[in-house]
Amino acid sequence: MKKNAITIIIAAILLVIFVLLLFTFQVRQSEVVVVSRFLEPKRTINEPGLYLKWPWPIDSINRFDQRVQTFEDKFSETYLADNSIMLASVYVGWRISDAKAFFPKFPGGSAVDAQRQLETMLRSAKLESMGRHNLADFVNSDPSKLKFDEIEKEIQDSVQAQLAKNNYGITIEFLGIKRIGLPESVTQSVFDRMKAERTKYITDAQSQGEAQAAKIKSAAERKAADLVADATADATRIQGEGEAEAAKMLGVFQQNPQLAVFNLQLEALKNSMNQKSTLIFDERWSPFSIFQNLPANPTGK
Amino acid sequence: MSEHDHHDHHHAEHADPPALETRDAGSQALAEALHSSFAIVKVAMVLLVVVILGAGFFRVNPGEKAVILRFGKPVGEGQKMLLSSGKFYWSFPYPIDEVVRIPISEIQKVTSTAGWYYMTREEEVTYETMGTEPAGNGINLDPRKDSYVISADRNIIHTRATVYYRIEDPLAAIFHFTAGTNQQFNTGGISNAVQNAANNALVATAARFNVDDILTLDIAGFQDAVRHRLNDLVEREHLGVAVDQCQVQSEAPRQLADTFRLVTAARQSRDKSIQVAQGDQNRILSEAGAQAVGITNSAEAARNRYVTSVQSEAEAFTRLLPQYESNPLLYEELALTKTMPEIFTNVEKIYLPQRADGRTRELRLMLNREPPQNSRAAGGP
Repeated sequence: MKKNAITIIIAAILLVIFVLLLFTFQVRQSEVVVVSRFLEPKRTINEPGLYLKWPWPIDSINRFDQRVQTFEDKFSETYLADNSIMLASVYVGWRISDAKAFFPKFPGGSAVDAQRQLETMLRSAKLESMGRHNLADFVNSDPSKLKFDEIEKEIQDSVQAQLAKNNYGITIEFLGIKRIGLPESVTQSVFDRMKAERTKYITDAQSQGEAQAAKIKSAAERKAADLVADATADATRIQGEGEAEAAKMLGVFQQNPQLAVFNLQLEALKNSMNQKSTLIFDERWSPFSIFQNLPANPTGK
Repeated sequence: MSEHDHHDHHHAEHADPPALETRDAGSQALAEALHSSFAIVKVAMVLLVVVILGAGFFRVNPGEKAVILRFGKPVGEGQKMLLSSGKFYWSFPYPIDEVVRIPISEIQKVTSTAGWYYMTREEEVTYETMGTEPAGNGINLDPRKDSYVISADRNIIHTRATVYYRIEDPLAAIFHFTAGTNQQFNTGGISNAVQNAANNALVATAARFNVDDILTLDIAGFQDAVRHRLNDLVEREHLGVAVDQCQVQSEAPRQLADTFRLVTAARQSRDKSIQVAQGDQNRILSEAGAQAVGITNSAEAARNRYVTSVQSEAEAFTRLLPQYESNPLLYEELALTKTMPEIFTNVEKIYLPQRADGRTRELRLMLNREPPQNSRAAGGP
């Protein structure tokens, strides 16, 4: 009885596995699955997990990669609205958004074929959109005049509109300009212009340096003169303040002007008589007046 | 079963004992064989279970991360989804669980492809190690190989960005981007997307910066703007990464390298002239400031001296006034007599005694028209 139970369990497990293999299928995180019944697409599954199906040949499973795939178109010439020629290449991130619509449009659901179709659409959209803009819309030092993002959006909208119109089941996730350039024949003239601009810049830089240096120096000298003049004015003011302060004390000298004058004269005398002075005097001068009473010197000068 | 058959069967059971014994031995042998087989099957099943459970253990190797897909759906959310390298984990056997190994480091690096000129591998190595750029004078840019950006002032310039980024949202970065049409999971798709974003950021940002700003005047501003644009694109395109660094390197076209070197030299010369002038400016202003302070200080000192002097004179005056008023002539005589020796010590003195006859002496002074040279050199008047 025990042996039969084991046999039954093993058989049951095998049966369950077999049934699961027949009636279930997995969808991975990156996949989108189209379930077809008798080769007719019936439902699309975008979310990962375990799902039920009828066994083959009733139901068949078609798997697609729903991740974003990127590609870039050729770096090709485009005429702009101002008749200038620009080279540009654009990168595109796209993914299968509606596998049920995508599946029958491309043989075997080939992403390579889908990308080829996208490239064709992108080329015409790029030519059309860029042809409506001037070079100044692509390169401009004034950000308000730059239409870089606008042009990218125009191209993306145009491609997306064509995809929707044809119901390809593809969504453009993002689109951006990868490279821009000028025709090879034009680059040499750009180099010549750049060289001329640089040469002028060199001359300007030299004269600007000298002029600016002279300007800085003269401004400094003027400011220095102002500083000294201000200081001199301050000194005069300070001197005046001192004199005013001293004048308050002059009242003391008013008590006896003769003494005040005498003191001043005495002070002036002391200050004026230095080593380079020669003083000639005779007996009338004090203290030499003391000689007046002495007998006369017959050899005196 | 018919009655006749039943009869025959009954008859055989009782009529042929040796044959019956032989059949029992066979059954027993068969039973024993089956018993042994079941034992082997049981052991095999246990072993199978052990093998299956044991096979669920796996190690994430260094330099890679792993994600467990359970029925195709990643286990865990956010960063927890990524199993760290160097550790052991366990998962259910396939097809319940599937371990996806992704070669990935903590910090990813990608370099832009648009904007730089073509270099061979050898030239690239020489440039990276020695900083020597390949010769380019006299050679036109080949649009098929050489790349560049156009600046706002319509000049041609080379620039490239090296981007270091981390994967913040593995679900977005790894499971939403692919580098090809295969079913493998790797960082090729996200790396490609970040590289395209870096290319676009360079081209779009250079389009609004002048060449001199990119090369010299506003290098940091240009780099910031590129990084800002790159972050915008990362967010707009839902790349699920965080940019840690975006280093931008810019160069003038090799065809104009000599000219740009002269510009750099001219700019340095101009800056040097200005710096020298600024140095002079500082010196002049410093000297003038010192002179001004000196003048003011001197005036302050003079004022103080003057006021103090007048004050002391006033005090002396007040002290001496009573003596003077008592006998002015005596006071004056005394003061003069007291002062004269002080004066006489400093001056050259010539004493002329009175003539004996009482007549006035005639005094003649010999004055040179031109003072002697020696006395001038000695600091004469």
